[in-house]
Amino acid sequence: MTAQKKDKRIGLFVCHCGVNIAGVVDVEKVAQVLKDYPGVTFSTNYVYMCSDPGQQMIIDTIKEKHLDGIIIAACSPTLHEKTFQEAARLAGLNPYQIEIANIREQDSWVHSDKERATKKAVKIVKSHVEKALQNEDLAPIKVDVTRRALVIGGGVSGLQAALDIADHGYEVILVEKNPSIGGKMIQLSETFPTLDCSQCILTPKMVEVSRHPRIKLLTYHEVDSVSGFVGNFKVKIRKKPRYVDETLCNLCGECEKVCPQIVPDEFNMGLSFRKSIYMPFPQAIPGTYTLDAEHCLGLNPVRCGKCKDVCEKKAIDYDMKEKIIEEEVGAIVVATGYDLYTMQALGEYGGEKIDDVVNGLEFERILSASGPTGGTIRRPSDGKIPQSIVFVQCSGSRDTEKHNPYCSKICCMYTAKHAMMYRHRVPNGQAVVFYIDVRTGGKAFDEFYQRTVEEDKVLYIRGKVSKIFKEGDKIIVWGVDTLAGKKVEVEADMVVLAMAMVKADGVQDLLKKLKIATDIHGFVAEAHPKLRPVESLNAGFYLAGCAHGPKDIPEAVSQASAAAAKVGDLFAQAELIHEPTVVPVNDELCSGCGICIAMCPYGARSLDPERGVAVVNEILCEGCGACAAACPSGAAQQRNQTDNQIFSMLRAMLRE
Amino acid sequence: MKLHYYPGCTLKEKTTGLDLSTREAMMRLDIELVEPEGWTCCGAEYPLTEEKIVGLAAPLRILRQVRDEGGDILVTTCSFCFAVLRRANKAIREDPLKNKRLNAYLRDDIKIDPWTKDKTTGFKDYNGEVKILHLLEYLRDHVGYPRIRSLLKRDLRGMAVAPYYGCRLLRPQAELGVDEPDQPRIFEEFLEALGCRAVEYPFKQECCGSYLSVSMPAAASEASYRILRSARLNGAKAVTVTCPLCFYNMDHRQEAIKETYLDFPGLPVLFFSQILAWALGVDKERLGLEEHSVPTEGLFIDHPAAEVRS
Repeated sequence: MTAQKKDKRIGLFVCHCGVNIAGVVDVEKVAQVLKDYPGVTFSTNYVYMCSDPGQQMIIDTIKEKHLDGIIIAACSPTLHEKTFQEAARLAGLNPYQIEIANIREQDSWVHSDKERATKKAVKIVKSHVEKALQNEDLAPIKVDVTRRALVIGGGVSGLQAALDIADHGYEVILVEKNPSIGGKMIQLSETFPTLDCSQCILTPKMVEVSRHPRIKLLTYHEVDSVSGFVGNFKVKIRKKPRYVDETLCNLCGECEKVCPQIVPDEFNMGLSFRKSIYMPFPQAIPGTYTLDAEHCLGLNPVRCGKCKDVCEKKAIDYDMKEKIIEEEVGAIVVATGYDLYTMQALGEYGGEKIDDVVNGLEFERILSASGPTGGTIRRPSDGKIPQSIVFVQCSGSRDTEKHNPYCSKICCMYTAKHAMMYRHRVPNGQAVVFYIDVRTGGKAFDEFYQRTVEEDKVLYIRGKVSKIFKEGDKIIVWGVDTLAGKKVEVEADMVVLAMAMVKADGVQDLLKKLKIATDIHGFVAEAHPKLRPVESLNAGFYLAGCAHGPKDIPEAVSQASAAAAKVGDLFAQAELIHEPTVVPVNDELCSGCGICIAMCPYGARSLDPERGVAVVNEILCEGCGACAAACPSGAAQQRNQTDNQIFSMLRAMLRE
Repeated sequence: MKLHYYPGCTLKEKTTGLDLSTREAMMRLDIELVEPEGWTCCGAEYPLTEEKIVGLAAPLRILRQVRDEGGDILVTTCSFCFAVLRRANKAIREDPLKNKRLNAYLRDDIKIDPWTKDKTTGFKDYNGEVKILHLLEYLRDHVGYPRIRSLLKRDLRGMAVAPYYGCRLLRPQAELGVDEPDQPRIFEEFLEALGCRAVEYPFKQECCGSYLSVSMPAAASEASYRILRSARLNGAKAVTVTCPLCFYNMDHRQEAIKETYLDFPGLPVLFFSQILAWALGVDKERLGLEEHSVPTEGLFIDHPAAEVRS
């Protein structure tokens, strides 16, 4: 190591970044002072190092002066490290011999005193010279890719992502926890702003998925565990027993007729009933009955067994067991969807105790031709056709005090649609909408809203609703009209709450298994809010649809296609490249204490029981250095960031 | 057992029924209520209305006295006193600036004994050591409903009572935290523990008009009328309250309400402590019913608990 240090020829390039750096740091002086620093053979400054001429200068100088290590004193390495590494590679220098000394974010941008900022810049650069002297040539770690994707969730986002990946020519496994694919979208009646029937536009996609030669559809399955890393995941999938052989079931429906157990129908949001053996909805895919064991009298021919008796195809099997399937995939698309905020949380709006106060999804079922009322608008309590409906936007959304602070994004549009549909079907009915703002950002959205107000005469009142309660046969809505500055009281036959969209129920357990990050509301977090919106920070995971946050159908579909394209990018590579700046284990020094294993947030380290030392999976290691800091014996040393290098840097910093 | 109790001014002057029935009821639970020596007005709402912190000195002096007498819990029955004391206590506990500045004032207190003229100085800083509980909370969390149930002397099954929370018992939730303000249960559970039927009605947390009673009596009448009407329509034979001001607006104001709203036949208003005392076997004469404007006859029918059970 010492020999290498003495021989090294380091070049220093100080960037002005226009006036970003040069305005506060005397860049010429920095280059001047470092000229004579041990190890530095060349030193210069230039206005924009990242520009083409700047890079060309670096390339030419490396060749001309035979440099074997360079320092770029410029902005944060998160911005241009890759740029300069590429320049080094073009000049024939190992890219890991590049050091970025950050004198912008950590110096010029946070200081104003030119003299002291310059002094600090000198110190920063000196410390990087010390580090560069000990840098080694490294080669990226390469790993194979399994060209097969897992899509979790069979709503519109999951379906679109699966179809696109499959159409790219890769195999896809689509896992859906419910008996059928279709998600929330299949429950909707019409879709804004074109009012086309939701089922009519989604069922073709569902059929396509079920028929696609490269898509393996696993409904009534759940992801049990995930191990491995990008390009090489091992997934365990739990098959829930359906108790009906889907290959034998011919949908004759005899079992349903004889089943004595009546259960609230989830597909109709509990507004109607189904049997314990059921098909969720007529277009369900796969087309098969499912026996809901939780509500069945006991999967026992002695206790009931009626369905098994009448099944001519002998498709019903009470002895079906849960099964674990193992699959290998290279990428995982998380499209786990959303749920609605619970009505119990909104005590001021009746807290689910008033039958005729329903949420948006329940109203979708009431509007739907396949719904519990066959598309006639009837209120749940007594089946009367409501002569007045109050719609309350932002129920549980945009409330920083008690509920969710964010905007659920789609409610303005679907409330306009609900009010419009109501006015079409009950022409004498009165529709009142309470709103905070009407947000109609989207193609043809505002025109749709204007139509609701002007042509369909829906009354919009700007203000929040404070209380909803029942008085006799009527529901009383108290609110405020903030434009008139008055309290208002509206009597209605029915109230529709545009409930906030929240993370899917129970999704946190799954996300914990996947080890991917979420935001504070439990939605899956993207890697960068603007530039990497469909990727998770954890390599190999992609996000689509409302698992990532509230969005409408077009946006969910676009995101799904984008995620599929990203999966395509990954699969198109011959092999994956991983940063070599990982933390290997020095077997000679390691005592097998296991501290590094506990420290590792990526699960990259484990104990070799035979040799009694820690071992590292270099592909999983993200080079965070937590283990290196914790290792008591110095056996864990990060490549190009060894203890020796860190101490040399400190010494250079502290030396006056 | 002794328990520190802060009655507050109104209970000494205007609504002695609340004070008397509370004492009688607690005696049946073997709890002797002790008032902190030399207590003053808590300041009602005013200490909390502005950022000025000196107004908090009065409630904190009361609390410091409780601590110095060795008490760790202080119960109140008046919702206003409760809110003021608990919020003042929270402020001194959680706001370092208020704590520093208030204790700087309070440290210099001089207490003069009215009889001996002895002076007491050198008070120890008060940092929120005392826990303030509304009596409803104390009964729920410290006495426990099973124990109350075991001591019931009268059967109240015929009594359909509408619990009225008002504003100060529940809000602001972040500072009081007694119960969820939109779907509270504490009052209902209390009444059910006594064997009453707690009437469900939508106006239980709506404002009674509060101080508008002074400046805009018609508005206070309207607010109280809506509450009383809703309770009656939902089957209540009486409304029960925890706050003297609510009591004033709903009970004393009923004459005026009846003059304005001709359809309203009237509805008795009781303090929660009167129902508790009655259930525990206290005589009707010891409930302080004579100060009620609306007659309460017919509500207190003496069905001994044991007799009905057997």
